[in-house]
Amino acid sequence: MKFLVTKDLAHSTLLINLMLGVSVALFFYLGLDVVLHAYVIGSDIESITNTLYGNVEEFIELILLDSLLLQVHIDLFMSLFSIMIIASIYIRLYSDKRTTKWLVHTLFILGLLAPLFLIVAYFTSIGFVYVWLVSFMLGHLLGMGLSLRIIKKLLFK
Amino acid sequence: MLVYVVAILSTGVWLFLLSQGLGSSGIMQTLTQIATLPKTKSLYNFIEVATPHLFAIGTLIFVVAHFMLFSTKISQKFSLRVSVLLFIVALLNILAYLLIIFGAVVSGWVKLLFLGLFVLLFLLLLGMVAFSL
Repeated sequence: MKFLVTKDLAHSTLLINLMLGVSVALFFYLGLDVVLHAYVIGSDIESITNTLYGNVEEFIELILLDSLLLQVHIDLFMSLFSIMIIASIYIRLYSDKRTTKWLVHTLFILGLLAPLFLIVAYFTSIGFVYVWLVSFMLGHLLGMGLSLRIIKKLLFK
Repeated sequence: MLVYVVAILSTGVWLFLLSQGLGSSGIMQTLTQIATLPKTKSLYNFIEVATPHLFAIGTLIFVVAHFMLFSTKISQKFSLRVSVLLFIVALLNILAYLLIIFGAVVSGWVKLLFLGLFVLLFLLLLGMVAFSL
């Protein structure tokens, strides 16, 4: 990621367009990832608890630990790369702002904790489902927000 | 980033052990079972797991190891040796089950050995990056 930090942006239209392209792609990726999780895990508390804990009355089996762990394993990998790319571009463009450090740290922490809270929720109680839901949504919204700020700065500077 | 990689490695090892029967028996029992008689896998199962891992592990090692380029505390020569060794062990770890599928080895010690080596080497590289920060 060093090239994103050191190369002079003012003299490179190609780099501006590359950063713009990857930010747009990551913005849509984060949006669609929320939709994907709504399909896989559930879109409301009832469907999420049905997926994680099953429902005897409606004859719904709980999700297998293998399947959930695979989802978490993939989520961690995808989060790491998407957040690293967004963060490295954002730091480059907004290094003079005091909020940058906090926003990037929050994004990394939310991206890491959300998948882990999902596993914790599976083994414990519905309370952690809310924690997962909040951290997952906040992480994705923050990522999309940072992507939008990058796009805005690159397009209208 | 380092914590992310530790979490990815942990969930990966957990997933592998689950596929070998961790859900119905303890860790030591599962490890003994892998060493003596690992679960049979088809070539399709192997490729299904190996393909994403070849991409993901290769990229992950590259991203983590490239931070050693900026290290002033650890020599580039040592970093190079660890990184190349990690790439080789990662490849052997991914391909180890192929030896079991084709009957070259009956026991699963090969897979356990390379998995253990891979995790230890990756933790060493992460430690080196953390020390260099």
